[in-house]
Amino acid sequence: MRRTFAQISVWILLLATAQVAMSAAKVGQPAPDFSGTASDGKSYHLADYRGKFVVLEWHNNGCPYTRKHYNSGNMQNLQKQWTARGVVWFTVISSAPGKQGYVNANDENTYMSKIGAAPTAALLDPTGSIGHLYDAKTTPQMIVINPQGVIVYDGAIDNRPTSDLKDIQGATNYVTLALEQSLAGKNVDTAATRPYGCSVKYPGTWF
Amino acid sequence: MISVASSQASAATIPHGTVELVAEDQSITPGRTLYVGLHFQLEKGWHTYWANPGDSGEPLRAAWHLPSGMAAGEMQWPAPKRFGSPTIADFGYDGETTLLVPIHASASLKPEEAAQIGADLGVLICREICVPGKAHVALSLPIKPEAQQPDARTRDLFAAARRSLPRNAPGEWKVAVLDEPDSFILVASLGRAVNHAAFFPLVESQVDNAAPQNIQQAANGFRLTLRKSDQLLKPIKRLKGVLELSANESYVIDAPVGNTRPAKEVR
Repeated sequence: MRRTFAQISVWILLLATAQVAMSAAKVGQPAPDFSGTASDGKSYHLADYRGKFVVLEWHNNGCPYTRKHYNSGNMQNLQKQWTARGVVWFTVISSAPGKQGYVNANDENTYMSKIGAAPTAALLDPTGSIGHLYDAKTTPQMIVINPQGVIVYDGAIDNRPTSDLKDIQGATNYVTLALEQSLAGKNVDTAATRPYGCSVKYPGTWF
Repeated sequence: MISVASSQASAATIPHGTVELVAEDQSITPGRTLYVGLHFQLEKGWHTYWANPGDSGEPLRAAWHLPSGMAAGEMQWPAPKRFGSPTIADFGYDGETTLLVPIHASASLKPEEAAQIGADLGVLICREICVPGKAHVALSLPIKPEAQQPDARTRDLFAAARRSLPRNAPGEWKVAVLDEPDSFILVASLGRAVNHAAFFPLVESQVDNAAPQNIQQAANGFRLTLRKSDQLLKPIKRLKGVLELSANESYVIDAPVGNTRPAKEVR
């Protein structure tokens, strides 16, 4: 059947709209690929980790919500527990130079050894390009990618959206839940939540 | 500096500002509702949060300490403002704002010289960075059979607080929400044209907070396209929030979400 010019125009318009409206990263969709330089000086390419679970953790060492999970040891415990089980864990620092949480490689390495952080690597993203690719809003926003390269969790670290250390005890950790359910071959019950915390300190003006 | 002690108000310091607990009446009347206000004054550039804080931040939490026979109702949130950047949007309040809380007094309350009303507050104050704060505010009021009216300053404060609340939508308005694959389209028939409309979603993870809201004006209202949140994975039945038509004119919206659209409509 021959399509009219009007019909084709509508299709083009729809496609264009879909393109604009399409999310950068969404649960159930392929995780956008990226390469990043870490504080250890090495380059990491997401696609190299196909076949493994990958956790992305947005990080800002000055943010009260990030500090809640590091001063309590909660985040370090998760990093150790899951990397020991073969999960790749990238801490991503998308703070722009001059903004809260911005670090150079030396600062980050000193901080990580002092606080006992144990991710696979801490990716330095001062331009915010990885952050924007995933539309990361907060620290600590958490993303879990399955071995097929599909996002299975996007959101908060747990169900207690506060900066109080005492709220960690008894909280439901969504990252643990997503990894455990995925490893058991199940669907993730809670696959997306509001990623609570501080705004990611991207380059640009805040108003 | 001389401060005048008043049984009707107690102020506490929070990071980059103050919060004061103010009672509308100078006494508690058994069987009636007493309104109290949490009056915030923040340094320029800093803000607190609405019930839905938006992309980052956290709303105020209040744990009330009240005489037995009194119970705090739900906090009444003023219409919010948007803060943030092109990619991150927070909803809240800067400058001066008052959150109203109704406190119900049981009819069986016995007269008392000085009943204590207090609250432990957890509040997040942000500019670009955020500082969590805690404060305790308290005041004492007599419990008397007859109400004692507020002074002029208190009256003005509560009048301003009530003006800052979103209004109920007029009965003649028709508001519905079309469910599109990537967006909600808020279709509002108001019986008049408007040149500005901004929607603040009350429930998190439904609407993409930072996405531009494109308005399509009509003689009797408008259509507003709201991009869906990346975190929204399931259909919703209703969309709730606040519709801002101008700086001083906001309305409570609670509209059904459906996929039916007028027949033969071409857009």
